[in-house]
Amino acid sequence: MICEVCREALATVHLTEIVNNSKKEIHLCESCAQQKGVAIHAQVKNLSIPEFFGHLVETRSPETAGGKEPQCPECGMTYRQFRSGGKLGCPHDYTIFRQELEQLLEKIHGSTQHKGKVPKRMGNLLGRDQEIADARAALQAAVKNEEYEKAAALRDRIYELERKE
Amino acid sequence: MQLTDFAKKAGEWLSGTGPESDLVISSRIRLARNLAEQPFLSRAGAQKLTAISEEARLAIQEGLRDQKLTYFNLKSLNNIDRCVMYERHLISRDHAFAKGDRGVAFNVAEDIAIMVNEEDHLRLQVLRSGLQLRETWGVMDKLDAKLEEKLQYAFDEKYGFLTVCPTNVGTGLRASVMLHLPALVMTRQIEKVFQAVAKINLAVRGLYGEGTQALGDFYQISNQTTLGRSEQETIDNISAVIPQIIDYERTVREKLLETKREVLEDKIWRAFGVLRTARIISSKETMEALSLVRMGINLGIIGQVTIKMVNELFVLSQPGHLQKMESVELEPVERDIARARFIRSFLQHIA
Repeated sequence: MICEVCREALATVHLTEIVNNSKKEIHLCESCAQQKGVAIHAQVKNLSIPEFFGHLVETRSPETAGGKEPQCPECGMTYRQFRSGGKLGCPHDYTIFRQELEQLLEKIHGSTQHKGKVPKRMGNLLGRDQEIADARAALQAAVKNEEYEKAAALRDRIYELERKE
Repeated sequence: MQLTDFAKKAGEWLSGTGPESDLVISSRIRLARNLAEQPFLSRAGAQKLTAISEEARLAIQEGLRDQKLTYFNLKSLNNIDRCVMYERHLISRDHAFAKGDRGVAFNVAEDIAIMVNEEDHLRLQVLRSGLQLRETWGVMDKLDAKLEEKLQYAFDEKYGFLTVCPTNVGTGLRASVMLHLPALVMTRQIEKVFQAVAKINLAVRGLYGEGTQALGDFYQISNQTTLGRSEQETIDNISAVIPQIIDYERTVREKLLETKREVLEDKIWRAFGVLRTARIISSKETMEALSLVRMGINLGIIGQVTIKMVNELFVLSQPGHLQKMESVELEPVERDIARARFIRSFLQHIA
């Protein structure tokens, strides 16, 4: 569709006006629309990230669930406050709001389980668990691909890791 | 470290020396970390802010002594210096102008920078010239481990490193590669790149990250998710797609040279002419002209200037830097005049 004013550019702004019960449509290109003072962007409210997340998870709201809203005893944050602001209040919130956050994290990341670096302080056991899980996955793949030598080596590695307490 | 040097040269990651540096400006890795025993900044009052920044500053100074980082409390810096740090990618825009005790530590090369009390307690950044994400991660991994000896990070077995915003939880890692893609923009092929990249869960951002415009045909490709994928996997995922984008840009450039050589040369030389002769020039016009000149150098059309010079001009011609050079705050019109004067003098020795 061509702009009704300049009759050159492609019309990308489509206005519908209702005056005295009669409907009138106008089609303009972006620059003509701007010249005519049609505030095209004003109609599209800029959605902030917190608002975006706020609307992402609408389930299990305390109002509908009827229960008392969970609140973090450490920082005083409630889940509703988090939802409207998009920011958590302290590390404990991840434990307090675990149930609510699960769904949100699944939507954002497509996963709810950390994979990757673990602080040394957390002890080597965590790292060991990760290594066992990785080795198990590799073992399965090796068996599937009929790489039996590799599979045997992986099996030995898993035994070795599991003996380590 | 003297902040006055800021007006004279740009950070080392702009040297244009790394692999694929004709198209890849830089590789960047960022980690978000928080202290286990402190509230997040969204719930921290002024006193807490001070306590956190002190703890972080000490840990940085002791744990990373060999990196020779200088710590600045942003409260002690004027607007121009904060603006300059932002333009040099050492701090974010929010960090530059927020209140309270917050800081940044970085080295002379400016390839390591740690923001304290930005959105998270700590935001570590490593920058490298050209395409070298894996090397950049190697440096970051070591920094993180050193710092971890001094600080107890907030960490959860299931959710990984805990962050203020759930979008960063897990690895807390954002890996990004800054690309210069003028031919794809010129031929309107860039949308295809956006679409392809979105399909594999990567994001495209502008020159200064989230929510900024793609000035000067610069685009940052970065990961969107941080949970469920290891650091290595995240980096591999981005590393796999970059060569394809680079190839695409190169192919389009060749095609342009083949079919529209004169038009392309004309555009490039005119842009060079504007930079060398203008008396008043806006930041936007400068970026656009520099982008063309940069491509002109890559294509062997312009030989008098180097990629390093152009990379530097991108940073040095920005408002904060111009005001730093002039040592006064300038109105936008005055800035445009100062910018034109600076660029002319920067390019005056060129034949």
